Amino acid sequence: MPTALIADDEPLLREQLAAQLERAWPELALVAQARHGREAVELFEQHRPDVVFLDVHMPGCNGVEVAQAVGSRALIVFVTAYEQYAVQAFERGALDYLVKPFDAPRLAATVQRLQQRLASSSAGGSGVAEGQLPARGDAALHPLLDRLAAELKLRSEPRRHLQWIKASTAQAVRLIPVDEVIFLRSDEKYTLVVWQGGEAVIRRTIRELAEELDPDHFVQIHRSVIVNLRCVSQVVRGANETADVHLRGRPEVLPVSRSYLHVFRQM
Amino acid sequence: MVRRCGTFEPMASILPPASSHPPSAPPGPLRTLWGRVQLAIGVAVGAALAVSPFFATSLLELLWRTLFVSLVLVGVYFGVQRWPVRWLPRWLPRWVAIALAVGVAAPLATFAVYLMSVRGDLLAFISNDARVRGFFILASIGLVLGVMFALGALLQQREAEARAQALRFELERSQLERQALDARLSLLQAQVQPHFLFNTLANVQALVESGSPRAPEVLRALTAYLRAAVPRLHEGPTTLGEELQRVRAYLQLMQMRMPDRLRFRIVGEGGLEGLPFPALSLLTLVENAVQHGLDPSTEGGEVEVGVAREADPPALRAWVRDTGVGLDPMAAPGTGLQNLRARLAALHGPAATLNLSEGSPRGVHAEMRLPLS
Repeated sequence: MPTALIADDEPLLREQLAAQLERAWPELALVAQARHGREAVELFEQHRPDVVFLDVHMPGCNGVEVAQAVGSRALIVFVTAYEQYAVQAFERGALDYLVKPFDAPRLAATVQRLQQRLASSSAGGSGVAEGQLPARGDAALHPLLDRLAAELKLRSEPRRHLQWIKASTAQAVRLIPVDEVIFLRSDEKYTLVVWQGGEAVIRRTIRELAEELDPDHFVQIHRSVIVNLRCVSQVVRGANETADVHLRGRPEVLPVSRSYLHVFRQM
Repeated sequence: MVRRCGTFEPMASILPPASSHPPSAPPGPLRTLWGRVQLAIGVAVGAALAVSPFFATSLLELLWRTLFVSLVLVGVYFGVQRWPVRWLPRWLPRWVAIALAVGVAAPLATFAVYLMSVRGDLLAFISNDARVRGFFILASIGLVLGVMFALGALLQQREAEARAQALRFELERSQLERQALDARLSLLQAQVQPHFLFNTLANVQALVESGSPRAPEVLRALTAYLRAAVPRLHEGPTTLGEELQRVRAYLQLMQMRMPDRLRFRIVGEGGLEGLPFPALSLLTLVENAVQHGLDPSTEGGEVEVGVAREADPPALRAWVRDTGVGLDPMAAPGTGLQNLRARLAALHGPAATLNLSEGSPRGVHAEMRLPLS
């Protein structure tokens, strides 16, 4: 008797799939329901079902990562609202997919494919250890999963540069979007952040900030000053190889020290 | 554009064009120069004609003198204008310098022209009473008219600059308006997210198929949300009450989908529902709270939406607080948040604020403050 596991963070959808599967494939025994990726992997190891139905978008560990952990030890069906993953998976024959919301005929087609694969693999299953089902297109499975995982990561990939500055003010820890920062100036221990909404003091050093902020927009012009280039109105050369940076709409004038003057030489 | 000596600009590709003319340069100086020269000639002719009856010298001679003086004065006027700033003493405003220069130049030029007429013979000049009298008359006329016209020209210039400034503000305002329109358009475009829609519909279908009694209520919530989400370009300003309805509909839908991971409540003063409020603003913050705050967490959390009126200065404060995973310093602010900031800036200027802070023990607290007129 074939066994299955369902993983989806939305309980209504888990229950719906379970109910529909009961109608479409009565012999299938549902041995586990998982609420998120980590639980899915745990329950899979515990029960070793033949088929796993995986929602792609789940908190923590997502469906693709679960599929990578499962590998070819079970037949994998992605249940997803994202059509594009589905098409890639299906073309290779390595995985099956269901697009939400799905109806009975679609589920029936998927069930039929699954039944065929289970039948064929158990028929020609010599030399295969128990619990291991060689899925058709096995060689294609892992690269495909890797690609899907990479794509998912790309969508949610945090940028490489600082986007928010956390600054403690009297009332709370403010989250300042880096785009609104005008300049940063440090003295002995603290750094002053001047931004469109006010000023705040943070404990980080200019050097740390210079490394983390996007160099296309933020430039260190002095041992203790970093300025947002988009807020600069002009740079005025002074005596002794120094210069002054004037800001748009603000009275402050920031000094450019000799060692940083080269930043402005390219014109 | 006139550059000050020693000024240079950093990497041009990053900065927008540098700010405009230094305040003292008039627009189209050559044109104004010619205009002023013409005026000077006209005045010279007029002056010559006016005083001619009182002078022994011929009209032509007079004309030559007045023309010379007035052209010299025009030259002085423009010359002092071009005078580099750092050669002027700091306490002397430029316009006083110009007026003084013209005032001093008038008698000097007149003297020069009289000297020319006696071919440099100073004694011959001084001894002749009529000439000396003529000198004083012309010099005084030159002085008075010169200073008068100089001041008039300066005033005109100031007005022209004020108009240019007004035009620049107008341009900036229309640019802001265009930005606001762009922000609104992309907001409208981004509203109907297929992932959200189809996932929600899948859940509704599940409810309907299982014959759940909750199905009608959920469908109502979905309709309420979609009314807001479907683009309507002619949408006018909405009220706080309508926005809260949308927020409630969205939260009800999301709670259907993640009942074990979302709790929510909407709190705050009553009686504020009729106040105007930017559409889809609180909704953006709530969507962020759910999608980026609660959804990534396996335990989920709570969302609180609140409104309150402030007395001094009169303002409307609206907040969305979540107990989710908080903000990753490397995570880019989403387009929703950026759009919202742009819209608030365009609609209310700097008086409207949108601030994010860390919740405690975790999560994000987003607060909007709108001025109330």
